[in-house]
Amino acid sequence: MRKATQLAGAVCLLVASASGMAASVFAAPPPERYLHVKVEDAKEGESVNVNLPLSIAEKILPTVNKGKLHDGHVTIGSADLDGIDVKGLLDAIRTAPDNEFVTVKQKDQDVRIAKSNGNLIVHVRCIDQDKQSDKQGNKQNVDVTIPLKVVDALFSTAKDNELNIVAALHELSDAGDALLVTVQDASQHVRVWVDSKSSSD
Amino acid sequence: MVLLGKIALGITGTMLAGVGAICSQGMIEVSVVERQPEVHHVYVIAPAMLVPIATHFIPRHDLGDASQQLRPYMPTIRAALDQLQETEDFVMVDVKDRNQHVEVQKIGGSLVIDVKDENETVHVETPVRMISSTLEQLADKESATAD
Repeated sequence: MRKATQLAGAVCLLVASASGMAASVFAAPPPERYLHVKVEDAKEGESVNVNLPLSIAEKILPTVNKGKLHDGHVTIGSADLDGIDVKGLLDAIRTAPDNEFVTVKQKDQDVRIAKSNGNLIVHVRCIDQDKQSDKQGNKQNVDVTIPLKVVDALFSTAKDNELNIVAALHELSDAGDALLVTVQDASQHVRVWVDSKSSSD
Repeated sequence: MVLLGKIALGITGTMLAGVGAICSQGMIEVSVVERQPEVHHVYVIAPAMLVPIATHFIPRHDLGDASQQLRPYMPTIRAALDQLQETEDFVMVDVKDRNQHVEVQKIGGSLVIDVKDENETVHVETPVRMISSTLEQLADKESATAD
């Protein structure tokens, strides 16, 4: 009887310590998310890496009140929107199936805007006509992939002519690892992405 | 004899407490190695607490403009430094070219700047708390002159 009590006590202790460990694991804060910007210039042999924790950006932005940036919002000129119902437009995109919405093909430029897997995708291909004879590379490719949730957060303000940058950053930190922007030209390569690594390597 | 021992113990304890207080904000470390034309190595390590204390002795009229310019940015600086202290270690900026490598990192509670080129290596390490308290002191000086 005494042995059984001791065994029960040991089991209780084991369960308590295991549940304590589990609680501490579950209570651990989520890993820090970083916005990375990498610019590489192969011709000049230069590279610039900037890594910014999104939590710092979220805390800093509301404190900046200068020009069009105030309380984490950016005011855009009403002329830029020119009577466009952005929220309605976004709602239409959100509910539409994955598709290519806009395709513009010009002599020196191709633009494609599409929705794919909950992301808004913009591809721009430019060819510099003045340098077409230059075979070394005169193309510029720009790829932008933004999760639609981030775009929604960006336009989540009560005012139509404001962008909510803080809400967008918050949504970006909740989203998974994502390559947001790439720009590639003859010598330079620019990348902007979000992940949980504290360096660009 | 026992009394002398107690006095010695008291002095030693006070000294240790003083050193502990002075070092409580960490240490500033500056290392400069010049390779050309001659090899020079300058290495300075000092308690970080001395910097905000030293700002007390800067004449107010000499700081007037700097403090005034700093003050509007204090809420942003405060938010950035507070959050910086809470985040894990990370590389903020890393710039490389053919001749130079500049790196700004947050390591532990410190901001670490390393610059390396063919001729020189510079390493500066400053505790974030020290930067914060020094800037607060400077901003307060402005309000003192404004009163």
